[in-house]
Amino acid sequence: MTHETATSLPVRTAHRHEAQAHAHAHVGGAKPPTHRNLGLTPSWHIGALAAAAAAALALGVWSMTQVDPLRIGGAGLIGALPPAYFVALALSLAGFVASLSLRRLVPALLTWQLIVTVVLLDGADPIIHGLPRLEASFRHMGIADTISQSGQLDPTLDAYFNWPGFFNLLGMLSGATGAKDLFGIATWAPVGINILLLAPLLALARRLTANPRQAWAAVWIFYLASWIGQDYLSPQAYSFVLLLTLIACLLSVFGGWAWPTERTKFSRWLARNVSKLDSSVPRYGAVEPLRADTAVLVVVCALLLLAMTASHQLSPFAVIPILAVLLLTGRLRLRFLPVLAVVLPMGWLLFAASTFLEGHFGQLLGSLGDIGANSLGALSTRVSGSDAHVFVVYTRMAEVALVWILAVAGAIVGYRRKAPWLAAAAAALAPLVLIPLQPYGGELLLRLYLFSLPFAVCLAVLPLMSENTAGLSLRRALGLLLMGAVLATATVVSRYGNDGMESFNDDEIAVVNRLYSTAPTGAVLIEAVRNTPWRYQHYADYDYRALVAAEPIPNAAPLSCDAVNQIAHKAGAYLIVTESQKEAAELRGSTPIGDLQRFTATCATSPGWTKVYENAGGVIFHIEGVSNGN
Amino acid sequence: MATERSYVSYATAAVALAAVPLSFVGPEGLRLAVIGLLMLAGPGTALVLLLRFDPPRSAQATGALPLSIAIAIAFSLAMSTLVATAMIYARLWSPPAGVCVLSLVTLAFLGLELKRPKRALVRAK
Repeated sequence: MTHETATSLPVRTAHRHEAQAHAHAHVGGAKPPTHRNLGLTPSWHIGALAAAAAAALALGVWSMTQVDPLRIGGAGLIGALPPAYFVALALSLAGFVASLSLRRLVPALLTWQLIVTVVLLDGADPIIHGLPRLEASFRHMGIADTISQSGQLDPTLDAYFNWPGFFNLLGMLSGATGAKDLFGIATWAPVGINILLLAPLLALARRLTANPRQAWAAVWIFYLASWIGQDYLSPQAYSFVLLLTLIACLLSVFGGWAWPTERTKFSRWLARNVSKLDSSVPRYGAVEPLRADTAVLVVVCALLLLAMTASHQLSPFAVIPILAVLLLTGRLRLRFLPVLAVVLPMGWLLFAASTFLEGHFGQLLGSLGDIGANSLGALSTRVSGSDAHVFVVYTRMAEVALVWILAVAGAIVGYRRKAPWLAAAAAALAPLVLIPLQPYGGELLLRLYLFSLPFAVCLAVLPLMSENTAGLSLRRALGLLLMGAVLATATVVSRYGNDGMESFNDDEIAVVNRLYSTAPTGAVLIEAVRNTPWRYQHYADYDYRALVAAEPIPNAAPLSCDAVNQIAHKAGAYLIVTESQKEAAELRGSTPIGDLQRFTATCATSPGWTKVYENAGGVIFHIEGVSNGN
Repeated sequence: MATERSYVSYATAAVALAAVPLSFVGPEGLRLAVIGLLMLAGPGTALVLLLRFDPPRSAQATGALPLSIAIAIAFSLAMSTLVATAMIYARLWSPPAGVCVLSLVTLAFLGLELKRPKRALVRAK
C-alpha cells in the first residue's frame, strides 16, 4: 500500500496547508500529495510502532495460551484472562492511536495494527479453546458435509436447506479438496472473517467520512464494538461480507441522484432538504470507471445480491431499506437496484424456499407488526439467568447504548461542521424498519446492531476527531484512546460473556464421536439441553431431539426421566449430557440450578437405562425401548 | 505499478491452473490452500485486474485499493456460491467440476485483461 494522505507538512507551509484542509473538509476532499509534504515522519517511528504491535500480538497470544478454561465462570472469559492480556490489549490500542496520530498516515502500519487488534479480540477460539465456537458452527459443518457427500438438498429437514448457498460453497470446498472436516476453518473463522471485513469496511468508511483518518478510526471502532459474535462460520458472516462490499461499491461507483433533481416538485423538495441537512459532497474514495466497466460492476452488484439471497434469510431484507435510504439521500443513482433487492428475496422465498414457507407461514407472519414483542419483548427475556450472566447482558446493553449515543452526537457534530453525516445516519437507522416484521428467533435486535454498526461508527468518530487532516491533537488522541479502551474492555465482557456455554473441549468432542460410533444409523439421539457440539457429521442420519432449549425459561420445571422414556418408548434412544449443556442450563436459566446433575444421577439408576460412555466432557446413556424388550 | 499488476496476474493464473488437477488429486493441505485461495479470491482478482481497478500510485487514488480488494473477495465468494448452488439445483453436483469452472472464469478474465488496451484505466478521486 502507498502512504495515504498528504498530512506531513513542512513547518513553514503547515498553516497554509491546514487552512486548505479546512477549506476542503466540508466537501470531504483530501489534499493532493506533493513531493514537499511527504516523508516527514521518521521511518524509525513507523518501525517502532510496528514492533510495538508485534510485541502486543506476542504477549496477547502468549497470555491467552495461559488461560485455564476450567476457570471460565458465569461472567465468561474475562475472569480467566491474565493481566498480561490486558497489557497487550492496551499496547495494541495505544499503538493504533499513535499510528493514527502520525502526520502521514501509513496504511500498511494501520492495517497491521488492526490485524493485531482483531487477533487479540477475536482469537480466543483458536488460541484458548482450539475448537469452533457455538454449537451452530458444528451444525453448519454437518450441513456442508451432507451436501458435499450427497449433492442434494432436503428442504424438509430444516431452514438451512432452503437457503443453502453458503453451505453449497462449503460443500464444494470440502468435496473438491477431500477435506474430511472443516474444523480448522471453523475454529479460525472469527479471525479470518474479521480480516476479510477490513477492506469493505475501509472502502465504506471512506465514502461516509470526511477524510481517511476518520475512516481508519471508524474501522477501528467497528472492531472494538463488534461484540455480537456473528463472525463464526455462518451464512450471516458470509452475507455480511457481501453486504458491506455491495454498499461500498455502490457508494464508490454509483453515487449521486437517481433522477434529475429538478424534474418534479417532490424531487426538488427532497434535494433541497437533503442539501440543507448535509451539503457535503464527499469525493474521497469515489471512482469513475469507464462506461463498459461500470456496466460490469452493475452485474457484479446484482450477483452479490443473488449470492446473498441464496445464502441467508435476513441479510437480503436488511439490504432493502439501506438501498432505499441511499437512493433518497442522493447517494445511489441505480434506481432499479432497490427493486431488484426486493424481487430477489421475495422470489426466492416463494419459489426456492417454498417448502419452508408452507411449513412456517404462521410463524413468519405471526409477529407482523408486533413491535413491542419483536424488540423490547425479545430483549427483556435475555435479562435473566445467573447474576454474573445478568451483568454480562447489562454490559452488552450499555455498550450498544454508548455506540448509539456517540453516533447521535456524531450526527449533530457532522451537521454543525457541515461534514458528511446524513448517509451514514440514514443507513444506520434503516435496518430498524425490520423490527415490525418478526423477531427472528429473538435475535433480531442483535442482527440489526450488526447491520447498523458499520454506519454508526462513521458517525461515532466525528465527536472524537477533528476535521483537521494533519494528525491528531494530544487531547483528541487521548480521548480516542480512552473511548477505545472502554469499548474494547466492554467487548471482552460482552463477546465472551457466554464463553462457558459457547466454547467446547476435546472431551466433549470425544463423547460425541463415541455416540456416533455406538448408535446405529437412524437411532434417536437426545440432548438434555440444546447446546451440544454435534451434527458435524451424520447431519441427516439420525433423529435428533432436545429436552429443553438453551433459552431462559421462567420457573423452569425440573427435567424428568419420563420425558426421555417417552421419546425412547418405541425403539429406544441415546441420551447425551455434556458439560456445556450444564453451563448453558445454569447460565440461561433453562433448568433449575443443579438440576442436570440430579437428572443424570437419578435417571442412571432407572430401569432400561445403561451408561454407555463417560468422560470429563459428558456422559452417554442408552435407553431401551419396547422393541428392545423393556 | 505495471510490474505489480503482472505479478498479481501471474499468481492468479498459477492458482487457477494448479487448482484444476488438485481438485481431483493431491495432498489434502495443498488442495485446501490452493482451491481455498481460488474460491476466496481467484475470479474476483482477475475481474478487478480486467477492470483496471487499480488507480495510479498517488495519495488521492489509493481510495480504490480497499474497494478493489473487497470486490475481488466478494465476487469470488459469490461466484463460488452461485456455481455450487447451480450444480445442486441442476442435479449435476461435482465439486471438482465446479472448481474447474471457477478456474476457467479466472483464466478467461485474465485473458481478456491481456487483450485490453492499456490506456483503459479507472480514474479515482
